[in-house]
Amino acid sequence: MSDRLRLDQAAKILLGVWMAGIIVAMFLVVPQYVGLGDAGRIIILHVPTAWITTVAFAVSAVYSIRYLWKRRAADDAGAVAAAEAGFLFCTLATVSGMWFANIVWGTPWNWDPRETTILILLLIYAAYFALRSALDDVERRRRLSAVYNLFAAVTMPFLLFVAPRMAESTLHPNCAFIQGSHCDGIWLELNGTRVGQLGDVVLALQGVEQRGDLAVAQVEVRMPGLREVALLEPSFELSTGKPADRPEFPGQQFLLAVEGVDLANGRVLLNMEAPGTGLLSNSRTFWTFMAANIGFLGLFIWLYRLRADVLLLQDRLARREVAYELPA
Amino acid sequence: MDPHLSSRSTVEASAIAAPPEAPLLAAAWAVFRKDVRSELRTRYALNAILLFAVSTVVAMSLGMGPLTISRNADLPIIRAALLWVAILFAAFTGLARAFVHEEEARTAAALRLSARPTAVFLGKLLFNLALLLLLVVVTTVLFVIMLRVEVGNPGLLAALLLAGSLGLVAATTLIAAIIARASVKGALFAVLSFPLLAPLLVVAIQGSANALAGRGWESGVGALQVLAGYTIALFTASLFLFNSVWEP
Repeated sequence: MSDRLRLDQAAKILLGVWMAGIIVAMFLVVPQYVGLGDAGRIIILHVPTAWITTVAFAVSAVYSIRYLWKRRAADDAGAVAAAEAGFLFCTLATVSGMWFANIVWGTPWNWDPRETTILILLLIYAAYFALRSALDDVERRRRLSAVYNLFAAVTMPFLLFVAPRMAESTLHPNCAFIQGSHCDGIWLELNGTRVGQLGDVVLALQGVEQRGDLAVAQVEVRMPGLREVALLEPSFELSTGKPADRPEFPGQQFLLAVEGVDLANGRVLLNMEAPGTGLLSNSRTFWTFMAANIGFLGLFIWLYRLRADVLLLQDRLARREVAYELPA
Repeated sequence: MDPHLSSRSTVEASAIAAPPEAPLLAAAWAVFRKDVRSELRTRYALNAILLFAVSTVVAMSLGMGPLTISRNADLPIIRAALLWVAILFAAFTGLARAFVHEEEARTAAALRLSARPTAVFLGKLLFNLALLLLLVVVTTVLFVIMLRVEVGNPGLLAALLLAGSLGLVAATTLIAAIIARASVKGALFAVLSFPLLAPLLVVAIQGSANALAGRGWESGVGALQVLAGYTIALFTASLFLFNSVWEP
């Protein structure tokens, strides 16, 4: 028992040192990112907290299943504690995200799919706590809130599937989970298919020319509904093989980048980038980010287990009080 | 395990379960008919949700007058959102009634004795569906007349309204059973239901906007598929979870 306690103590200290290291690394190790400046450092804080939010929701649902199965107070305490910790992380992720969005995108709230999903998640957590406070009988409170928790978990996949349809575009720099975005970009040719579509923007290649080490493409960009038409000139550095100048789409925060060039045949690989795309391709940023994920996961586990113990203790105390107040 | 205890409980269980061994669907139908009959006597839920729906539509048309196409290009989506908001909030006022009434009238225990949990759930679901379909028809007709809405593709709109109603009922019937046991019933029903209904609402509104704008069936197939999947998933989950809710 004392061995376990000592181990717990050591783990706690290690976690504290680890998190302190991450906070230092966030400012000293992670380099500035072109286009985002210091605001890009938020990835170390924002993304792990958002990720832990979903983990917490899943952990809470698993405890709820176990409670309905075995009807043990400890499982209910676990479900509540995970939900409470999840709510905390959810709030942190929302607030830090809004702050970042206000600086970089110019608006704290955009009804971006991720924003919608996390808002609904916040509402579900809040509803779960509201339900618990409205049920007086302890056993019934545990049973019904476990049912609600699981029922809410059933709707989550639909939210993840549906939310991307809501907004016409996302500002979040990640296309892997979002439908309708093309992570691979499109090839346009001067002598072949000159017109193509990225998301809901129509692109028409007008020309490619070499200017020193740069290959510059002239691309006509037509925004949805022909609201705006513009001629953009993204460029590509031939010696390093990387996009150089990324102009912004008219009226939007997206960037147009050339990711590949075949000058001989007049072919250009065009892609759309949200500011922040490729943030993790820097290895220092990547490893700090992974360390932050581990740290926040540890923090979550420590928080919810502590809270679960406290809840169980409270329950035991309350029951003892009832027992002592009974006439002997 | 105490052998006496377990044998006694099985005897008790079989004694209780013996009379309602009627087929599941017949039992569910009986619960449905009981609810319809008791509703027709008091007309509490009917009055509440129909008057609520009428008030909402009248308030909208008073506030805006007839919206004409020349005024706004986003008109179909605005109208679709208004229609679904009216339906949603009217549903919040009435759909909890089926279970709340059983608790208030203290008839839940009798119902527990006389029918299997699944039969009770199916009966209540059917009752809520009937109530909601009535509400949807009344609201939509009033909405079309009072706000002078031109429906481009009536078939698609009807299909979406039906699919949306099925999903709404599948999601809210279990929640009604949950909140019937809580202390603040009315507000809690909307609070618990809304986050779960968000995906349904988004899909239904976008699909309905396409239908109002007169686009073809292919524009609504995706929405109908999502609504069907949502309904099936929540209905199945409800069947699994209802036993735990319905325990005394």
